[in-house]
Amino acid sequence: MSERRRKRSIFDLMSEYMEEFEALADELIEGTFAERPSWNTESCCLEPLCNVFVTPDEVVITVDLPNTEHETLKVEALSEDLIEITARMKRKMRFADFGITHREGEFSSFRCQTRVPVSVDTKRMKISFKHGILEIRFQRKRGHEIKVE
Amino acid sequence: MSELVKIVEKKPIPSGATMLYGLPDVGLVGLIATSYLISELDLEEIAYMDSDLLPPVVVLHDGLPHAPLRIYGNKNFIAVISELAIPAQALHTVMRTLVDWGETKKVKMMVSMGGIPIENRQVITDLKVYGAASSKELLDMLSKKGLSILKEGYMVGPQALTMRYCAEKKISAIGLLAQSFYNYPDPEAAAMTLKELSKITEVKVDVSKLLEKGEEIRLKARDIMKRTQQEMTRMKKSQEYDLPLYV
Repeated sequence: MSERRRKRSIFDLMSEYMEEFEALADELIEGTFAERPSWNTESCCLEPLCNVFVTPDEVVITVDLPNTEHETLKVEALSEDLIEITARMKRKMRFADFGITHREGEFSSFRCQTRVPVSVDTKRMKISFKHGILEIRFQRKRGHEIKVE
Repeated sequence: MSELVKIVEKKPIPSGATMLYGLPDVGLVGLIATSYLISELDLEEIAYMDSDLLPPVVVLHDGLPHAPLRIYGNKNFIAVISELAIPAQALHTVMRTLVDWGETKKVKMMVSMGGIPIENRQVITDLKVYGAASSKELLDMLSKKGLSILKEGYMVGPQALTMRYCAEKKISAIGLLAQSFYNYPDPEAAAMTLKELSKITEVKVDVSKLLEKGEEIRLKARDIMKRTQQEMTRMKKSQEYDLPLYV
């Protein structure tokens, strides 16, 4: 009788650990996408969708910028690893354009900041803007070669 | 049908219709295509999904609360859309319930519209549409209509489960997958799938308005794309990129 109870409690413990672990993992994922709106009425900015890809030679940042004036696009390296992208929208959008009547505000530009996860040469970047998608390419910094015995 | 997920019918459901799925996935292709179809064909809301597995989200339209996963239809078509990215852990139950429900309504074919993510999407202007199907005869039919078939590889997500459940139950099911962005809303890819859809089924839709509203759709779809991205990470969508071990 006590043996059966012991076996059950080991499985219970294991499933408890698994649940805790999954909850922690979920929290980590939630934490990286912080629960804040993608719009900011104080700065009249919308946050565009942005992705960072790391390849062996380069870091490629892509940003989806529909309804943007090409000439107003600005890419700035705020620090070694923080890049800010701003652009003016061709046409201002208000909450009412999204059907929302319980908030007031107008948006006239896009703005986002992304962190670059590895070290890159921020002074040399290649920028291209096609079909409303901005692509920024950075060369990765290379260290020294290690000889293989 | 599981107790955790129920389909609540609001109006009589047509029998023998074609069932279309537009659930949030890669590039929101299915969602954009299906919601455009719903507004062009003026389909009315005939049912919705009620489930404790979905987060407590309600969509307000004209002040009234609606379930985020809704089913629209007319006498020839049933269209399923979701304004909510379905949580990865609820996918199996949700898709099984939808396929079982479609079976009870004797749908003649289930069509999933979606995207195949490609790296250099912004330089490609001529988007290809690939086909997947639940049976050999349907694959041959898609080839004859000029679609390339996905021969080997992985499929992840709602359309993958639909394909398998339909193959199990011997329901005709096809998947129309256009080359698209992975993480950005892609109305052009949605327009391509609708063009192929009109070759295969009787639905004829003019996609020019969809392409005109393309920028507006991309702007408005940002938030739902971000939520869908989170769910795609959870369901390990990137496995579609994996090279298979062919045994």
